[in-house]
Amino acid sequence: MTVLILTCEEDVTADMVVVHLNASGVPVVRVDPADLTGGVALSGEYVHGRFRGHLSAGGRLVSIGGLRSVWVRRPGAPAGRAVQPSAWLTEEAAQALYGMLRGSDARWMNHPDAARRARHKPWQLRLAQRCGLPVPATLITTFPRAAREFAERYPELVVKPVSGAHPQDPPRAVPTSRVAPDTDFSAVAYGPTLLQRRIGKRADIRLTVVGERMLAARKATAADADPDEVDVRFAAPGSPWEPTDVPSNIAPGVRAYLREAELAYGAFDFVEDADGTWWFLECNQSGQFGFVEVETGQPIARTIAEWLARPVPDEQARVNERNASIR
Amino acid sequence: MQPFALNYARPAVELEAVIPYVYDAGLQLNVLLDGRVAACDFAVLREVGTTTSTAGSKTHFDD
Repeated sequence: MTVLILTCEEDVTADMVVVHLNASGVPVVRVDPADLTGGVALSGEYVHGRFRGHLSAGGRLVSIGGLRSVWVRRPGAPAGRAVQPSAWLTEEAAQALYGMLRGSDARWMNHPDAARRARHKPWQLRLAQRCGLPVPATLITTFPRAAREFAERYPELVVKPVSGAHPQDPPRAVPTSRVAPDTDFSAVAYGPTLLQRRIGKRADIRLTVVGERMLAARKATAADADPDEVDVRFAAPGSPWEPTDVPSNIAPGVRAYLREAELAYGAFDFVEDADGTWWFLECNQSGQFGFVEVETGQPIARTIAEWLARPVPDEQARVNERNASIR
Repeated sequence: MQPFALNYARPAVELEAVIPYVYDAGLQLNVLLDGRVAACDFAVLREVGTTTSTAGSKTHFDD
């Protein structure tokens, strides 16, 4: 049984997992859907009540029925590198590839439907609330007056993109940024704006969860840190990421979150305040983990590899000669 | 007429480091010029920054 990894060639973070799969002798096929009709080919046949499908890439051929798991990492747009790419061809290729894969019994990290839903930050915030995780007061609005009133209630504010995406025309980055209390909010009318109470933080937390395993890392905020640098991704390097424990009042909420979101993997961002409370910021359903492992030595890649390498239920039954379920 | 959040945008910073590895389709891994697997060399990964949480922001939503 094979592990299928959907990602681009330059994804060296995926390599960290491939290394462990290779070491344990688990077959791997790595495919970038962007190469469909070029270096990647597929075929599926629905005949006599049965389905037989195959994928080939880099000289490897794998049966879709022979997949134990699918890891959706950083896949390119299907057929994005075709000789004559088009939006129509991308949709055709996406329907063919992901449609066939959805019919397999393989386990997903993460299933495309769950992944798509989990990208919505407003949905994340509500789910985190329902799971009992502390969520900073947040407003998403196109009403300038609502923004002004929110700023009066919470004078210490930050703004961040609702989607987390960065504009590309021209390429710009939109870090989480402090908003001055006397700011002119009239431009809120021109696009949904996410304002959030700024948490005075003493550390950033990155909690990577793989299946049931939680691997938390903490990056202390320097005492002399620039208070305007609230986004750790864009701040000066400062303290290193270090392993830390997950507070007992947070772990159940995180488990509930992933269960409700139907995610096998999630990279949570929290900030830790002066009282030690972890405030939920977001959960990246395909968040980067390489930088954490590089700094902390936490075995994230190995844990992902172990999750991907687990037998599918039918295989478990064969292995154990009974309907055992191993989690 | 610019959305409020874009008042806080800054020019995107491209990675300055030269990527010292290339993809080997046979291995399904990126390899350094001396043939070693790049993912096993944490010093290289740290230096080039391709595993950091901003690396995927240009084309992907998830950091």
